[in-house]
Amino acid sequence: MRLPNDLIRNLLFWAQQKRWLIIIALLGVVMYQLPYPDGISIAGYRTLILCIIVISLIITEPVPLPAVALLIAVLEVVFHIAPPVEVANSYMNDSVFFIMGSLMMAVAIVHQGLDTRLALGIIRLTGNKVKNIVLGFTCVSALLSSFIGEHTVVAMMLPVGLSLVRNCGKNKPIPNLTALILFSIAYGSTVGSIGTPSGGARNAIMLEYWRAITDSGLTLTYFQWIIMAYPMVIIGMLSTTFLLQMAFKPEFNRMDTAIRRLKIQVAHKGKITGNEFLTILIFVIVFLCWIFLNEQYGLGIIAIGGAFLYMATGLVEWKQVSQNTNWGVILLFAGTISLGVQMKNTGTALWIGNSLMSLFSPLIDQFTMIPYILNIFLTMLLSNIMSSSGTVAVLGPITLSMGGDPAYMGMTTAISSAFGYFSAIAAPACMIIYSSGLVKMTDFLKAGWRMAIMSTITLLLLYKFYWPLIIGFTNFK
Amino acid sequence: MKFLIALKNTTDESKNILEIGCKIAEGFSADLTICYIGKQSRALIEGDVNLARQTLSEWNIHHPGLEVLEWAFNILKEKGFAPDSEFNIENLVEEKGRIRMVLPKTTNYQIRLVLREGDLLSELNNEVKHGEFDIAIMGFPRRKRMTHKMAQFLDTSIFFVKNFKPSWDYKILLCVDDSRATKRAVILSTRISKQFDADVISVTVSKTSFFGKGYRNAHTWAERYLKRGKIPFESKLLSGNPVDVFVDEAGEDHIIIMGKAKGNEILKFIFGSKPIHTAQRANCPVLMVN
Repeated sequence: MRLPNDLIRNLLFWAQQKRWLIIIALLGVVMYQLPYPDGISIAGYRTLILCIIVISLIITEPVPLPAVALLIAVLEVVFHIAPPVEVANSYMNDSVFFIMGSLMMAVAIVHQGLDTRLALGIIRLTGNKVKNIVLGFTCVSALLSSFIGEHTVVAMMLPVGLSLVRNCGKNKPIPNLTALILFSIAYGSTVGSIGTPSGGARNAIMLEYWRAITDSGLTLTYFQWIIMAYPMVIIGMLSTTFLLQMAFKPEFNRMDTAIRRLKIQVAHKGKITGNEFLTILIFVIVFLCWIFLNEQYGLGIIAIGGAFLYMATGLVEWKQVSQNTNWGVILLFAGTISLGVQMKNTGTALWIGNSLMSLFSPLIDQFTMIPYILNIFLTMLLSNIMSSSGTVAVLGPITLSMGGDPAYMGMTTAISSAFGYFSAIAAPACMIIYSSGLVKMTDFLKAGWRMAIMSTITLLLLYKFYWPLIIGFTNFK
Repeated sequence: MKFLIALKNTTDESKNILEIGCKIAEGFSADLTICYIGKQSRALIEGDVNLARQTLSEWNIHHPGLEVLEWAFNILKEKGFAPDSEFNIENLVEEKGRIRMVLPKTTNYQIRLVLREGDLLSELNNEVKHGEFDIAIMGFPRRKRMTHKMAQFLDTSIFFVKNFKPSWDYKILLCVDDSRATKRAVILSTRISKQFDADVISVTVSKTSFFGKGYRNAHTWAERYLKRGKIPFESKLLSGNPVDVFVDEAGEDHIIIMGKAKGNEILKFIFGSKPIHTAQRANCPVLMVN
């Protein structure tokens, strides 16, 4: 019997569109049949297979991401890695609540039109000089994204930046000035997002790994995180301003016309409205609760409490929240955290960590910084390929098992996952400015290598000199 | 008839694609859909990008793809293809997986603007299936393999606009063989010849000096058809590797028109076909007729 040509063509089309799924499935089957290596249990080896499958599926995206999350649960049970009840329990924890609450609050904040207030504020602060505007954009983006998440900040800042660029009123193209303004928002937000646990989902994931994976069940409060990470934010935002101006020499030094037009554009807003005031007030309450009540209630419960307040006060409707919250991502992070916990329970994380470290054992004896450098390199590499949060989710359990102080190693992973400066896919902020169509992939490389070197050196200096200094009085449990 | 023009940006190359596409469509009084397919964000951060787009639209800063479509619309208007129409963002209709704008029908053909996001091949395939287009007009893909995939998987005639210079007087190189699609290629080439006022060179190539009955019949049929249509033409029977001969004969100043191969799809996927190799190697526009 011969198949009709149309059917064969459709099958071929499907196969070439799903080629990565087919390759990954074959790889999984082949690995499953191979004898497992020494030093790892059967469950551990199967967890390793699952880990490779998940990383490959996230990078190549042949299936929707929520489907990957479902696959994790199914294979954890089918591969006898963990019983169904344990798998179900591992899918929901405070970090998942935290990510969910933060995303829901972001929707509420973005929909209040606070961007025009920000525009007015920045203009008042910076004046008309380009270098001051870049400093203003970077610092405001960094400071805000420390607390409310980088994607929320970029969503509010990008219209302001793009309006400035469009209002320049020059007939000739201004690629450097455009890149300078947009990158100051994106890199500013990325640098700022490491400052507190609420800066990004990856920070919340690391908090969960510390609690669930480390032998001592390490916990870090919101305030302790700030003490450890914030110097990096301050150094980062100042050096970002300097490095971006080195990478993109602006076509002119003043933006008088653009600023004047922007002022006219946002002038109609008048005084602060009741809704805007309430939006800010609720966030301040949530922020204070994160600082003072997180040990009692957990960051996640406080975040979803904030989301509840926004809905209860009518600042945002459930329909808006439901439509604009990426539920698939929440499910994926729940799945990857579950996988991370199983990597610890089955010894997979330890086996990978030891295997990696054994490659560098002669060097480690002489240089104690080697695990941290390797950690930074691995995290930076993967976050540029896979995205920052996804990187912490799959790499966190491994880096925590690579030796070194878990608090330092975890913080190094969380911070260096923000070093995805080289590609648009690494961080939401980078993808958002890239999707404007005004910056090129090569622009990321042009500015990225400078940022990566600066960030790596700063982080290593913090590890070597600052963290040992403060670790005593931050009193980790 | 229905034609699809796929654009990737606002460069001069896209302008040329638009110009030649509109000119051909006008000759056929065909409805015209102009489609831009934007890159999709990674699924992990897609929600964040959508959130940013919402705030941007409140500042009247729209999807970059809409700017490409507006640019295309302005060129159409400038060239007189869309008189008395206005590009109004409020006329956008969001459907499953696409955003479209239908312009008021002021000529004997309808113009639609469509925005899609995602994998280029997959979205083009969806658009072709959705619109049941007779010809898809597009720029030449950078990667040879993509040309191969487009030619094989898009179930319509494809016009690859490669190295097109609007100021040049093009001739038509009509590749004739015994395939079923050849007849349709001959019919299309007469219409295009009239539209562009271009001479036709009908070429039949055999690998040896012997021409089988099928080739000779096809060659004679093409001659008769062109004569009946009063098209100025020249007819050649040549020997050699067909792809080499077509590419050499065409040079840079011909539009190659040939039928799509209908052989075994698996072999075609692995080894390609004469039309696919010609499209990959030619240095001029190529129309592959389905």
